[in-house]
Order: sequence, then C-alpha cells, then structure tokens
Amino acid sequence: MSDPAPRNPDAPGVAVGTMPDSGSRARGDGIHAGLAPGLASGELLFVIDQSRCIGCRACVEGCGECGTHRGTSLIHLDEVDRSTSTQTVPMVCMHCTDPTCAEVCPADAIKQNEDGVVQSSLKPRCIGCENCIQACPFGVPKYMAEIDQMMKCDMCYDRTSEGTAPMCASVCPSDALWFGTRAEFEEHRGRQLLNDWNFGNQTVTTKVAVVVDDAGPGPLDVLLGREPGFQWQDDPFGLEGR
Amino acid sequence: MTRLDRTALAWGLLAVLVSLGLVVLGSDGLTWFDAALVGYLFGTLFAIFGTVYRYVVWTQRPPTRRLNRRGWQAMLARQKRASNVVSLPLLIAERLLLQDFIRKRSWLRWAAHQLIFWGCILAALVTFPLVFGWLHFESVGQAARDYRMVVANLDTPLTFDSRGVFGWLVIHALDVSAVLVLAGVFIFLSRRLRDPGAMAVERSGDFLPLAGLFAVSVTGLMLTASNMWLDGRFYTFITTVHALTVILGLMYIPFGKLFHIFQRPGNIGVSYYKDADVPRATCTDCGQEWASQLQVDDLKDILPELGFDYSIPTTLPAAPFPEVASGTHAPHGNGNYQDVCPPCRRRLVTLAQSRRVGGFG
Amino acid sequence: MATFPVTEQALVDRYGPHLNRTPPGGWNADSTDIDKQVRTHCCFCGQQCSLYLKVKDNQVVGFEPDYDFPFNEGRLCPKGIKRYLQGDHPDRLLDPLERDPDAPGGFRPVSWDHALDRTVSEIRRIQAEHGPDAFAMLSGVSLTNEKSYLVGKFARLALGTANLDYNGRLCMVSAGAGNMASLGMDRASNSWADIPQAGVVWIAGANVAECAPITTSYIWRARDNGAKLIVSDPRVHPLARTADIFLGLKPGTDSALFGTVLHILVERDWLDHDFIEAHTQGFDAAVEAVADYTVQWGSQVTGVPAGRIMAAAELWGTSDTGMLLHARGIEHHTKGVDNVKSAINLGLATGKFGRPGCGVTTITGQGNGQGGREHGHKCDQLPGNRKITDPAARAYIAEVWGCDESEIPGAGITAQEIVEAIHRGEIKGLLSICFNPAVSLPDTTYTREALAKLEYYGAIDFFLNETAYQADIVLAGSLHEEDEGTSTSAEGRVIKINQAIDPPGNARKDWKILLDIAQRLGRGQYFTYDTTEEIFEELRVASKGGKADYYGITWQRIEDEQGVFWPCPEIGHPGTPRLYEGGTFAFPDGRARFNPVAYREPAEVVDDNYPVWLTTGRVVSQYLSGTQTRRIGPLVDQYPEPLCEIHPTLAGELNIRDGDRVEVTSRRGSMQLPAKVVTTIRPDTVFIPFHWAGDKAANQLTNRALDPISKIPEYKVSAVSVRRVGAGEATTDRRDLNIDPNAPASTDLRRF
Repeated sequence: MSDPAPRNPDAPGVAVGTMPDSGSRARGDGIHAGLAPGLASGELLFVIDQSRCIGCRACVEGCGECGTHRGTSLIHLDEVDRSTSTQTVPMVCMHCTDPTCAEVCPADAIKQNEDGVVQSSLKPRCIGCENCIQACPFGVPKYMAEIDQMMKCDMCYDRTSEGTAPMCASVCPSDALWFGTRAEFEEHRGRQLLNDWNFGNQTVTTKVAVVVDDAGPGPLDVLLGREPGFQWQDDPFGLEGR
Repeated sequence: MTRLDRTALAWGLLAVLVSLGLVVLGSDGLTWFDAALVGYLFGTLFAIFGTVYRYVVWTQRPPTRRLNRRGWQAMLARQKRASNVVSLPLLIAERLLLQDFIRKRSWLRWAAHQLIFWGCILAALVTFPLVFGWLHFESVGQAARDYRMVVANLDTPLTFDSRGVFGWLVIHALDVSAVLVLAGVFIFLSRRLRDPGAMAVERSGDFLPLAGLFAVSVTGLMLTASNMWLDGRFYTFITTVHALTVILGLMYIPFGKLFHIFQRPGNIGVSYYKDADVPRATCTDCGQEWASQLQVDDLKDILPELGFDYSIPTTLPAAPFPEVASGTHAPHGNGNYQDVCPPCRRRLVTLAQSRRVGGFG
Repeated sequence: MATFPVTEQALVDRYGPHLNRTPPGGWNADSTDIDKQVRTHCCFCGQQCSLYLKVKDNQVVGFEPDYDFPFNEGRLCPKGIKRYLQGDHPDRLLDPLERDPDAPGGFRPVSWDHALDRTVSEIRRIQAEHGPDAFAMLSGVSLTNEKSYLVGKFARLALGTANLDYNGRLCMVSAGAGNMASLGMDRASNSWADIPQAGVVWIAGANVAECAPITTSYIWRARDNGAKLIVSDPRVHPLARTADIFLGLKPGTDSALFGTVLHILVERDWLDHDFIEAHTQGFDAAVEAVADYTVQWGSQVTGVPAGRIMAAAELWGTSDTGMLLHARGIEHHTKGVDNVKSAINLGLATGKFGRPGCGVTTITGQGNGQGGREHGHKCDQLPGNRKITDPAARAYIAEVWGCDESEIPGAGITAQEIVEAIHRGEIKGLLSICFNPAVSLPDTTYTREALAKLEYYGAIDFFLNETAYQADIVLAGSLHEEDEGTSTSAEGRVIKINQAIDPPGNARKDWKILLDIAQRLGRGQYFTYDTTEEIFEELRVASKGGKADYYGITWQRIEDEQGVFWPCPEIGHPGTPRLYEGGTFAFPDGRARFNPVAYREPAEVVDDNYPVWLTTGRVVSQYLSGTQTRRIGPLVDQYPEPLCEIHPTLAGELNIRDGDRVEVTSRRGSMQLPAKVVTTIRPDTVFIPFHWAGDKAANQLTNRALDPISKIPEYKVSAVSVRRVGAGEATTDRRDLNIDPNAPASTDLRRF
C-alpha cells in the first residue's frame, strides 16, 4: 500500500513517464523493490559522510515529504561554525543496536524493529518528558512542543522497509547521505565503513555507518572532535605569508 | 518480565481484594449482585490485577521511578504548590480529557480518539457499577414504565419514564457508547489502511485493540437489535459472544496498546517537572543553557543503572567550559558526555569524523 | 508606459510574493491517493534533474525521486523538492490583467479578447509610427526548446522586429561566444559521465554546491577514483572547502590566472605537443600573449600565492586527463569571453579534449540555458545556432518557415542594449516573457527609468514579477508543469518536460498566447500548430545542418533513450555525449583555435571612494530573479533575505560585527542589509546574492558595463564602499538550522 505508484495507473493522461511498476527504486543496480530483508540482513546500508555535506538542505526539505512524518522534517542540519567554515553537520538517527533513548524512556514509547530500525515515539505512550532528547549521544530526537511529544528519524520506514531509499539519502546531491547495497559501496566509494562509536567510556554500535579512510583503528572517538579545528583550508587566501 | 515481580504481585492481589470488598459492600452483601454477570466480574478482576501488576512493574523501572518521584515533588513543591493545585484540574481537562495534543497533530485523528474515549468512558460508567452490583433500577409506581435508579441500597431521587427521552438514553447508554466507539474505530481504520506512514510503522498491536473495540460494540448493538426487532431471537447466543469479547477485551488491557490509558497521566507529572523552578544546565562545549540541570543530573544517575557509562576519561580532551558541570555530580576524569548539549553532540560527531577522513571525505 | 500603478506595497500585498508552505489538501492528506505520477524535470537550473510530480485533481500535490534517470538518479536540491509548491499558489495569475491605478493592486482582470486586442493595436501603432524595430521582445530560457524556437520565429515573422533578445544574455553568452571562437561549437564539451574519469577537476568561478548541486556528486565520484580538485574563486564555497588546491583569486582576474598557468605550462613544457600540432592552430600567438605572465606577475595580479598557482599548473599540466568546469564566476565580466577563451587554451595546450575525462566546459545555469540559446532566441541567431546574417542560413530558414527571406529581419541588439535603447527613447514598445529585468539587469534604477518610458509594455507570466509592475497588459501564461516540450540540459542532453496539469483559471499555455497574437497580427499562416510536438518537428527540420543539429531527435527517442545528446543529425544517429572525439573540432578544418588573451582590468576598479570589491551570485535555495522561488515558503526560510558576506579583517576595520546592518554603496546606488562576517571570502571583497527585488536587489549596485563580444554585464565585479549603519541580530546561529526563524511561534518551540 505504501508503494507510491498511482492508485489508478489507467487514469487518463498518464501517457508518459509514469513510475515503473517494479524495478529499481534507489540508485544503482542492486536495489529493487521487495528487497526489504536487505535492511534486516545489513545488505542495505545507510551511510553518512559528513565531510561531503554541502549544507544545501535538500535532506531537510526531503525529510518532511516522507510518509511516516509528512510535513515535519526530522533530520538535523547544523553549521559547525559558519564564521570560519561552510562545513555543515547532517544528522539522521543512527539506529543504535542498544538505543540509549529507548532505555531512558519512562513510558516504553521507543521501540526497535527486528531489522534494527529504532522507531519514533509511540504516540499513545510518549509523555513528552524529553529524557530521550537529552540522553541520545548523537543529539537526534526532537521535542515537538505543539504536540508535547518527541519525534525522531525512523529512516523513512515506509520506504526502507520495502527496500526504497529514505528521502534524505535519495535526494542528497553530494552523497553525504547515501543508501544502497554494501557491494555498491565497496565498488564505488573505495573507503571504509565504521559503525562503532566511543562517547567517553561508552561504546555504541549503530545500524547507520560513517565513512572513514581506515576503520582499522577502531571506534570513532567522538570526543576527539573537541581538539582544535581540523579544517580543509586553514589559510584559504594565503594571508599568513603576508 | 521473566520472573514474577513480588511487589507487583502483592499490589495486584491487594487491588483484587479491595475490588471484591467493594463489590460486597456496594451490592449490599451481594443482594444486588447479578450472578449472570459473574463472567464479567471475573474479567474485570483479571484486568485490575494485570493492570496494577504491570503498572507497578512499570513504575519501578529506573527512569519511570525517577520521573514519578520528580513529578510529585515538582507538583507539591512549596513555592508552587498553590498554583499547581489550581492548575491540576485544568491540566487534566486539557490533556487527559480533551486531548488537545492529538488535535494539534490531526483534527480527524483527534475526533476519532475522542469518540472512542468518551464511548468507553460512558460504557465503563454504566457497566462497572452494574457488574459490581452497585447500581440497579427498580420499577416505581403502578405504571410499568417508571423506574428509579438505585445505587448500592440507596434510592436516588432519580426516577424516569422509560419511554421518555431520558429513559431511552439510560436504557440505551451502551448502544450510544457503541456507536461512538464504532465511529472512532472506522476513522482510525480508514486512516491506518490508507496512510503509507501509518502502514509502514504498523504493528499487530495497533489493529488488535481496534478489532476488539469493534467486536464488543457490534455484538453489543446486536443484543439490542435482537431484543427490539428480532423478538429476542439469537439473544442467548449473542449474549455469550458479547460476554466473550468483553471479557477478552478486559483481559487484554494490561498487555497491549490500551495500557497507555494508565501511562498517559504521567504527562501531568512531566509538565510539573518541566515547569519546576530549577537551575538550567549549561553545555560544557558551547556554554549555552540547554536543559534543566535536575533532569540532566537525573539522567546521569539513571544511565549507569541502565548499564551506560558516558563519563569521559582524562585521556580524552577536556571540554571548553568544564566548570559548568553540575555540583552534585562533581566531574571526575574529564566530566560527562551528558553535560554536552544536543547540537554540540552533533557537531562533535562531524568533527570527529573529519579526523578520520584525510584530505577529503 | 509608466511607473507603478499603485504603491509597491499595494502591489506586493495583492500579488506577492506570498509564501506557499503547504501542498494542496494539507500535510495530513493521503499522499498515496493521487491520480497519476508524471515524470518530468526540475525547472530550477540547467542540470534538469528528473523527478516525478504527484497529481490529484489537476493539482501537483507532491513529488517522488526518479532513481532511473541517469543524470541525477533520484538526487535533487531543495529547489527541486519544493518546486511543486509553486502550483496552487495564491499569487498565481488566473486572468489577463490590465493596468488600472484604481483597481486593488493596480491591475484589473480583463478578457483575453480585450488583452490581446489591446496588445496588437499597440504593436501596430508603435510600429506604424516608429518602425518595426521600435517594438522589442525580451524572452527567457526557462522556456522549453519549442517555446524558445517559437519566440524566435514569432518575433521575426509576427512582430517583424529585429530586436529580440533573451535572459541568457545575462548568463551563458560569454561561454557561448568563447566556445564558438575556440571550439567552433557552443555546447558542454562532455556529458557529466566524463567527470568521474578525470584525473584532475578544476572548478573555476562556479559555486557548484549551491548553483549546480547535483554536479557535486560527480566531482566526489571523480575523487573516489583518485582525482585531485582545484578550485579558483574569491569565496571558499562549500565545495572549495575540500579542494586540494584552492586559488582564492581577486574578482576579475581569472584571465590573469589562466594566462599565468599557460605561461607556466609552456615554461615547464607541460604541453601536449602532438595534440597542439595535429588539432589546433594559433598556439604561438596565444603563448606570445602570455609571455610576460610569470608566476610572480600572476600572483601579484590575482592575489593568489605563487606556490599555489605553480601547484595548480603542475597538477593540470602533468595529469593525463582533466576537466575544467566554469560558470558565471568567470563569465559575468567585461572579459567574460576572454576568460572562457583563456580557460579553453589550458585544455588545448595539454590535449584535454575529445577523450574520456577530458574537457573544458561551462556549467550552464538556467533551466534551458543550453537549448534556449540554440534555436533563434538570440538577437543575431536563427535555429540550429545559425547566424542571422548568414545568407545561406536565412535562405534555409525562410524555406522551412515558408516565408520570403526578406521577411526575416537582420541582427538586433542585445538585452541590455534593448533596455538602453528604451531609455534613449528609440524603442517604444516591449513584449516580455520569462524575463524579470527589473531584478536581473544591472543598475536597477536605470532599468526602472527605462521601463517607465515605454509607450506599451506587455508581459507574459504566471506570477506578477517585479518588472510587470510597470506593464500595461499582463497575459496569464503557464508554469513549467502546465505544458510539455523538450529542454536541453547543461550536458547537452535533450530531455522531455511532461505536462502534469492544465493551466488554472483562464491562464493559457505560453505558446498559445503567442499564436493568438500572431493570428491577430495577420500572421497566423506561419503559426498553425495544434500541438507542441508539431513545433518540435519543425524545430528538428530548422536545426538540420546547423551547428546545433536536432534533426535525429524525436520525442519518442528522448523517452526511450533517457534523453539524446545533440548533435544528432539523423534518426539513426546515437547522439553525441562527448564532443571533439579524436581531436576533431567544429571548424571546417577540424582544428581548434587558440585565442590570444591579454589580461585587462575590469571596467570598474577599486579606488579611494569605493575601496572594496563587490561580487554577486546565488544561494542554493533561490533561482535567478526569484519570481518562483521567492514564493515557496520552505525555500525562503532557508535564506530569507540577502546578506553581505564580509571577512572579519575588513569588518574589523569598518567596525562591523556579524548581523550589523551595513550600507553598501556603488556609483549606481546603495543598499542596506545585514552583514555576515565569515573568513570564507577574500578580505578585500564583499559578496551579495542577487535574487531579491526593490531595495533588496544587489543589482542596485552592479555595473552596466558589457563584454564587447558577448554583451554580458559585469555582475561579478564592482567597486563599492561599505559602512556600518546599525546593530542587528547575528546571522549565524550555531543551533539547529532546521528551526525556521520566520515560522509562527508554535514551530519555534521545536527543541533540538
């Protein structure tokens, strides 16, 4: 039912260019409708490479078009510090194997599906306490004051549960957010994936992976982000030599 | 819940005993207890036991226990007690009865929920007293159409003509509630079957309560239909089916989605907790205020109980504003990651990733 | 014929821009309950990304990515995602309008008969009194190929005026002229599929991440394959941030940079002598022109450290493959054509043409900027990119059109020159479509003065754009999704725009409006089309044998083959994704031309009174003059108003802090806007994006100086002074950018 194909494909005027009934629903050859188990088996991957983000906010606009939370954008896009860099910070839910948000929820409102996707809060249960918002190590859940509840990225479950790419990774112009098969990634991207994180003493494993040059050194130490700026162009206009 | 929780078991049994006591007292020593309704009584007692059991288990979970305590503390806090007591009925009306937060999501969804909510309230107000033997009707006067409502053994001044409008409403109260519930169920169902988002995150547990409410309401209406238009044909059969659906429905309450009825009032406590006059926590990485210090500290207490350790060892860089870490949780090592605000957490993730991609991503 | 019929505020109140934020039926509507999904392309830039529009009850209610179109494979920028909100818009024109100062908003709805009759009688009167060329037409390349072709024919055969030009004059003409002079053909040298095969990618004057966002993914793919990235730009734009070599040059010094690199290539012998020998001519003269352009000189002129220029030259010169992509950053100059020629020289000197991963190409900006500049839309052009002054071309087109060759006027004047002729009183009447010169031409004060002198101005548009404030008649036309036709993407790929819905109310399809006018001018015999496809069939024939040869392309082929790259001279021809294969260029002798380029200064340089360089450009959430994108709420939220980017060093000297209001003044005018203090711009330069109108228009400041060949205005270089006028709120909030600053308080409560 959530196939976005038209209800009435024989409606007059659908002469050209209507969505194929089956066939690829995401980039590349490996992804076809009906491959939903790929999400559970880890064959289908959601990959982030923050360094590629160009801050265009296509993800933000696309997110609000997803069927599970239409009209509400749940992805985050921040600037690191626009006064010195155009580097931006895209953040979707990383879908932790052992989600902190669900554990700190006093109302049992956050559930994890068998395929590892951590759902947004169950509307009847969420009591709007914001424990999850404050505890999530990635800063993902959002408190929506108007409805007094938390909402968060659910990896566009209407799409990914059927093997279709989530909205943000579908539209991302720079492949900073990317969804596809492991084989595809390995063939084209030539880099490695990491989904283990250290937040101080806490190690977290996530379903969503990030791109690194070398996964060998192990989990990504998030607190190393505190060390002084690592910038691509440290002196873009050659001012220091003057 | 691999083993039975003894505390919860005790509370559950106590609740059942109290309920039984109330049945005996309220029905004047079982005088007015209707033996035909014993099945319903059994279902109700089971629901009471299960709900209380689960409620106690639930409130013992570390985050729930903490929030429960903080909610009461905040509500009864000396400085705000008066205003909180005044605001309590308002909060209950707005959040629990009128469910304004649902209307802000979708008017239709709110309408459906209200229909089911008030339908069930009405049904409960009628059936529970009847089942417990607290309420019955006595014929008054010579005319067979006048009745008086009797609560426990006390005559109420409420007498009515069974063929009048009020009488009709009293006699058909359950039919009215069934119609309200059915309307709500149909709205929910049509949304659930059409909305791709709702479909995707669907759980079997979302349909079961709708199916149960549907079955109870339809069989209930069939009883009336049988009585009024079919000269009572199939009445016994329908009675049995109806009783079965109701009893199963009652027994389902503690297990499924309907348990939210008992969780939702926690929202009132949360709003006092959030409104409490407590210091604001300051982010150790950007120096901006971002949350209630009380809640941040509560989380730092609870997380270790849940098996998480977000403390930062001295081998990792210190925060730019370490001094703002809360006093009661004096920082050891390089503080606690839970003192970092969400936007700074996201930024740290990106900055950390950039260190692992040399040159470019 | 006039200034505004009512106050600007009254016009804005009635005709917008108002912000549409919600799809028809609201967010809670069932998004699967639709009538159809129509595969089409985005209207908001030359990349022409494919997507599906969801349609219900003749309204576009949403979108869905198209994963199967090879160019974008589902990718879209925010404009493509939210473009569907331009439909069902409160500002949409539903009737023809006539200027009426007494009507609310200054215009009253009139019948089509009245609007068309008035238009035709004014055309006849003006042309009778002042000659046929006293009535001009301005057009634009958001139009399909069919409409572009039709406009060209309409102006020549129906209006009978030589003075037709188009808004590509503000966009691609420098690249076009440079391409023609150096390579013999005006098209991107490659399909984008070549970019990932390049060993080095040089992005010159192109804010790819914001103006051609999907191209970013091609550059990343190249880098995944090991390519190095060079970026030359006065700003560290998002892609520049990650460049291997960043050349942060002074505005207006691109040809000095390219000339210096050519000098180094020769000096170090990083040349492809075989290629130069076999496939080019004029190398010696080009080298002679840069004989003095040592790296020290280049560093001095451009402000880029010598070592970086040397490193870039080495990377470019020693890499076997490489592509240089440029855009308005080097083209919006009085030396736009020179800049393009000097960039092409670097490709020719190192043999980087006609092979996989090799090429020098412009990134065409406008929706149909490529196709719209090929089929008679320009003042000196006939279909197939033929010269209107070429007797053979005139004869051929006259035959296709079934007219006498003498009925085709000669070459006219260019867009900016038309406005200047209006200002001088030589042109008295104007019909415009798809062009908003009051925002997009430089020196807006001057443009307004000119428009006020028109005796008659008719505008065809779907919204009342700011130029049409001064119109006598506004003809309610059609949106992109309300008509079908073809378009040619930045790659040179001819693609199909499909109609999703019919024009609402009494609005009409643009091409039918032109047919109506032609009919009433008594020229209906040349415009007998019943469908858009018939126009395309005629275009095919008209382009046959021209440089831009579409003869082998049919609508069916486009659908079957996911677009066809021109030139495609026969039905059986596969199309030409990569030009100049085997080193064969589009000149009779097959040789490319080196063109000698001597550096000269911009038309205006900084001095004591105007000590700061101003450069202008775009932001990702807006498109051109904003007629459409300033009406789409979520896009406006992203970047609601122009900000003046300024380096902290300069800001410190001027006592300006982030968010302060500053006044930027040039010889043309001045404007006030908030300062955005960032280290990502040269300390001697400020940047203002140009999408806004009235007192927010960057073009209040820009210079009307034109390139002598392409006649493109010098948007990228002006001299200005900057001063602080007051305090304001900081422009950079380190909190979540999703939080919409203008939204009602309720959503403002979204936390983290």
